[in-house]
Amino acid sequence: MKIYYKATYTYKLLKGFMQTAESLISTLGSIVMFGIEFIKGLRDKPTTIKELMYQCYRFGVTSLPITLSIVGMTSVIVAMQVAGEMVKQGGGNYVGMLVAILMVREEAVIMAGFAIISMIGSSLASEIATMKVTEQVDAIQVLKVNPVHYLFTPRVLAGTLMMPIVVIISALIGILGGGVASNLVSGLSYKAYFDSVWFGLNTHDLNVCIMKSFAFGFVISLISCSCGMDAKDGAKGVGLATTKAVVWSFVAIVIVDLIFAAACFY
Amino acid sequence: MSIEVKNLVKSFDKKVILDNISFKVDDGKILSIVGFSGSGKSTVLKLISGLIEKDSGEVITTGGDIAMVFQYSALFDSLNVFDNISFALQERKDLRGKYTRKELEKIVAEKLELVGLSGIEDKFPSELSGGMQKRVSFARAIVTEPKIILYDEPTAGLDPISSTLIEDYIVRLKNETNAASIVVTHQMSTIRRTADSVLMLYNGHAVFEGSPDELCREETPYTRQFVEATLDGPMKMN
Repeated sequence: MKIYYKATYTYKLLKGFMQTAESLISTLGSIVMFGIEFIKGLRDKPTTIKELMYQCYRFGVTSLPITLSIVGMTSVIVAMQVAGEMVKQGGGNYVGMLVAILMVREEAVIMAGFAIISMIGSSLASEIATMKVTEQVDAIQVLKVNPVHYLFTPRVLAGTLMMPIVVIISALIGILGGGVASNLVSGLSYKAYFDSVWFGLNTHDLNVCIMKSFAFGFVISLISCSCGMDAKDGAKGVGLATTKAVVWSFVAIVIVDLIFAAACFY
Repeated sequence: MSIEVKNLVKSFDKKVILDNISFKVDDGKILSIVGFSGSGKSTVLKLISGLIEKDSGEVITTGGDIAMVFQYSALFDSLNVFDNISFALQERKDLRGKYTRKELEKIVAEKLELVGLSGIEDKFPSELSGGMQKRVSFARAIVTEPKIILYDEPTAGLDPISSTLIEDYIVRLKNETNAASIVVTHQMSTIRRTADSVLMLYNGHAVFEGSPDELCREETPYTRQFVEATLDGPMKMN
């Protein structure tokens, strides 16, 4: 006689938790493996300048309008919130410094990262996932070309190289936007604002900002390509891969940000 | 002989897809693998081409490249026909930089002529019909002069006339390249027009091996059911 046990909610909860943990470990494992394979492939120069330039254009130029809008508006909002109060309290000379440090240390990098993930990361993941489910990746492999080297190299290199450029332009626009907002909201002069910016910024902040941008670019493009490469099961798989790429990239850049903050400022 | 498969076993998630499959294909011959959907036909091709790993058994090939024509062509949609066909010559590590642009153009033109599609080098896959895409994928497959060509349902989704054309090109490529070929198909017309021998798979086992004529004589319950396309017989759909 067979005995059937009714699954309890605790069992279902534990089972769901285990499946999620398994999926997390598996995704992390494949990202690391693809990362190692990508680095191995760099020796073979498996990309052309033309393809690299195209991916740089895609990563850096097409993402710029949305990145600048997000970073610019964030800085305007911050300046609007703090400039009036600081001027009232006699701290008008510190508004520029505050906005600049906020932009260079955090806002420009993290906001640009979010914008890039939404626009470019999702696009990279869905592009490679579509190639995977339509057997284009298999075709590359059968033609004896390493698909990780061929697909990842131009995309990850472009992401790593272009991210600092996007972040620097975004930070400049953010600082400029903060100045305009401070002037309009609290009447703070441009001279006072930019003197404060100049006084507040230092080389260490800029260096960390650039290093962090390189790391963000690498992490976003690698995770996006890896999630795309892991796709299976048709259109549903493409959707899942894209979602996974966005979620993992968001989490990863926050972790990288935390590591940089802990390592460079404390 | 160009391909010899011995005692091939492959499982996915504890389900046995191929159980002890063995066959041989000589140079200049075409083996057609037939069977229900999910019977492991495409898995055989993926194992031979190295896309997936076998659990046990042997795949012995006599050297040279293995080419594969995919069910839905699998052309690279971001590349034009020229770059699709010359992909291996441009990107493969051992071939990269070996050919000048003029040489590549000549090779691509030759391959396109072989599949009856001269002058479409600048077109993108989205601008081609299903039959033309399939023929471009034939040209891409033979660009490195392979010794083995694998076709995964080459006539799937095509109208009868386009299917006939594709079948003719399969035979023509066999004659031109003297390659050993394996054609996975469901269609009797493809078997009759292209195959030198037939292997029928069911539930991971080879249930028939013989010539197309023997298949059509319907001497076993399996071949009878397949040729008559009836639900009554030993093979049950899952």
